[in-house]
Amino acid sequence: MTITEPLLSLDHVSREFSTRRGRITAVDDVSLAIGRGDILCLVGESGSGKTTVARMAAGLLEPTRGTVRFEGRDLHQTSKGEHKAYRRAVQLVHQDPYASLNPVRTIGDTLRAPVLHHKPVRGRREGTRRAAELLTLVDLTPPQNFLSKYPHQLSGGQRQRVAVARALALNPRLIIADEAVSMVDVSIRVSILNTMLKLRNELGVAFLFITHDLAVVKYFGWEGHVGVMYVGKLVEFGRTPQIIGRPLHPYAKALAAAIPEADPDLTRTKDKLQLRSLDIPNLTALPSGCVFHPRCPYVVPGLCDEVAPRLEDVGEGREVACHVVARERQALTPLSPSPGSTGEGGTEAA
Amino acid sequence: MIGNVPSDFRLPTSDSVIGRLADDVVLSIEDLWVEYQTPAGPMQAVRGATLEIRRGEAVALIGESGSGKTTLGLALLRLLTRTARVSRGRARFRIGDGRTLELFSLGGSDLRRFRWQECAMVFQAALNSLNPVLKVRDHFIETARAHGRKDDRQTSERARELLRMVQLDGERVLSSYPHELSGGMRQRVSIALSLLLEPQLIILDEPTTALDILTQRAIIDVIRSLRQRLNFTMMFISHDLSLAAELADRVATMYAGELVEVGKVRDVFYTPKHPYTVGLLNAVPPIAGEEFTPLTAIPGSPPDLLAMPSGCSFHPRCPYATELCVRQAPPLFAVGNGHQAACFHWERVTRRLDVWEGAVR
Repeated sequence: MTITEPLLSLDHVSREFSTRRGRITAVDDVSLAIGRGDILCLVGESGSGKTTVARMAAGLLEPTRGTVRFEGRDLHQTSKGEHKAYRRAVQLVHQDPYASLNPVRTIGDTLRAPVLHHKPVRGRREGTRRAAELLTLVDLTPPQNFLSKYPHQLSGGQRQRVAVARALALNPRLIIADEAVSMVDVSIRVSILNTMLKLRNELGVAFLFITHDLAVVKYFGWEGHVGVMYVGKLVEFGRTPQIIGRPLHPYAKALAAAIPEADPDLTRTKDKLQLRSLDIPNLTALPSGCVFHPRCPYVVPGLCDEVAPRLEDVGEGREVACHVVARERQALTPLSPSPGSTGEGGTEAA
Repeated sequence: MIGNVPSDFRLPTSDSVIGRLADDVVLSIEDLWVEYQTPAGPMQAVRGATLEIRRGEAVALIGESGSGKTTLGLALLRLLTRTARVSRGRARFRIGDGRTLELFSLGGSDLRRFRWQECAMVFQAALNSLNPVLKVRDHFIETARAHGRKDDRQTSERARELLRMVQLDGERVLSSYPHELSGGMRQRVSIALSLLLEPQLIILDEPTTALDILTQRAIIDVIRSLRQRLNFTMMFISHDLSLAAELADRVATMYAGELVEVGKVRDVFYTPKHPYTVGLLNAVPPIAGEEFTPLTAIPGSPPDLLAMPSGCSFHPRCPYATELCVRQAPPLFAVGNGHQAACFHWERVTRRLDVWEGAVR
């Protein structure tokens, strides 16, 4: 994606879990890379593996197979010092600020703690000055109003801003935001997204942004890339405007078509993609072939239910894992050799 | 005034039968106030809400968390917690036979009959509203029995039919426990259950919140097809404007306990006249279109209901606010055909984004 070495990369990463009902593969052979200042969105429904990817990227979970690299170094082979540097550089913002902020600590204490622990500044007074700076960065102003407050004295949106401020305390280069705005109200959601975009534009912070909402991806990730995940697999990847404007994978199409719009005429006349089944497959008993085939309206029997499609480059830096898309492309690309062709016939069609 | 009373329905106490509503009105809420007792004193969660719902229509109550939407729904079904009470106002409901009930003076069996036979509510967290130790079949049977329908076989038959209408495999689902079903399936079970006694009005509280996108779409489609088939009246509560755009005939915006704008869905979405509605609309990211759509946030946060601002409760966040808005609370102005907005400056209100850029904080 970027010519220079990516900040963080996941290289053929898989993660399995043992459950009472057997072993499940939550993430299956996913490769992603995020460059400096990039925005990479991962979108998918529950059980898609997007949160497991986030946790592996944040170093909270070791992959079963594959490697996570930070600035080219394998995260789980680094020295203690390198690991500490990584810990500072990559920060996680959770979905639920109610659960992630300590209720008996003031906002000031919460923001001072990482600063004092990692010692970029010394002393309580310096720590407070830094805490006030952080609050200003996330638009909680004037900071004096917030430093001595407890989490329960803030609104949900304000708490989520504090969580973002804490993530910024150590000048991170990457923030992993896992459904960071899905629990806040619409108008507050936009202002938190705008704050995060400002941090990216002004401080060059990169974002790995995990969400179930393609409309939020369109807004937040417009200048970045998006990966669409379905039961542990990456099924489509590309630049955000491409994927939102013209999704190719049937699952991505279904997601985009399913989202209602805040426009009565548009939303009631929008083309919907009728799936064959509503059920997300059980991770302990995944379907054969393409994992989406039991729900896919374009399914080709004998192909989709037998052979798992690979993520293939379809041009313009875009990748799709779908037999039907691959076939259509072949039909439209006469120069590509097809079985039985003499290698000459293609030119006429062009 | 009181016509023939069917024998299976005990007459409500006389003071709960006051007049008839217009023929097509199912529910009429007039100047409703709901008050919570809090350690810091009484808090008004609903402030003077007035709304009429006509037979067969779908009304969306939209607003952010804490705006009082759910409290309003709970008050109508008399399901408020013990710390809350209706402190003022009335709500009248026209039951199936044409007579009118005064909801806040209903007692005992009338109240029980009103709930579920006349008006059913589907709650947000469908897991919590289904009893975890009862199979789905028993939910249907117990509901029917509690309302005097003792024929369990007939109930099961009806349940299967309703479950089919919400796109579920009736037999399989009836013999399942709630935890064996996915969130979307539980929500559809709750919807089917709410329809068991053929109520006139269904109140849905955040019917799609916390569900996956494809599941949300399925619920929306199910609700739409159910309405076409069964023709019930619907009030749904949501913070999701897109859901209102999909399903509502009319929309009412709620802010800090007040209904600040009411109108037909196209009027409210295309020519909103209350700045708060505009603020909400400008904050929703669209998915359609190949261009980037800039959005703006409403500055500030909703007021503390224990320390409401003077005048218009939205004035501290409003780019249109003037001296007048600080001094005086605006009434609901008629701003169009069946369209009302509580804003002194409604004639100037547009959806333009630049108005908000330098808004007060």
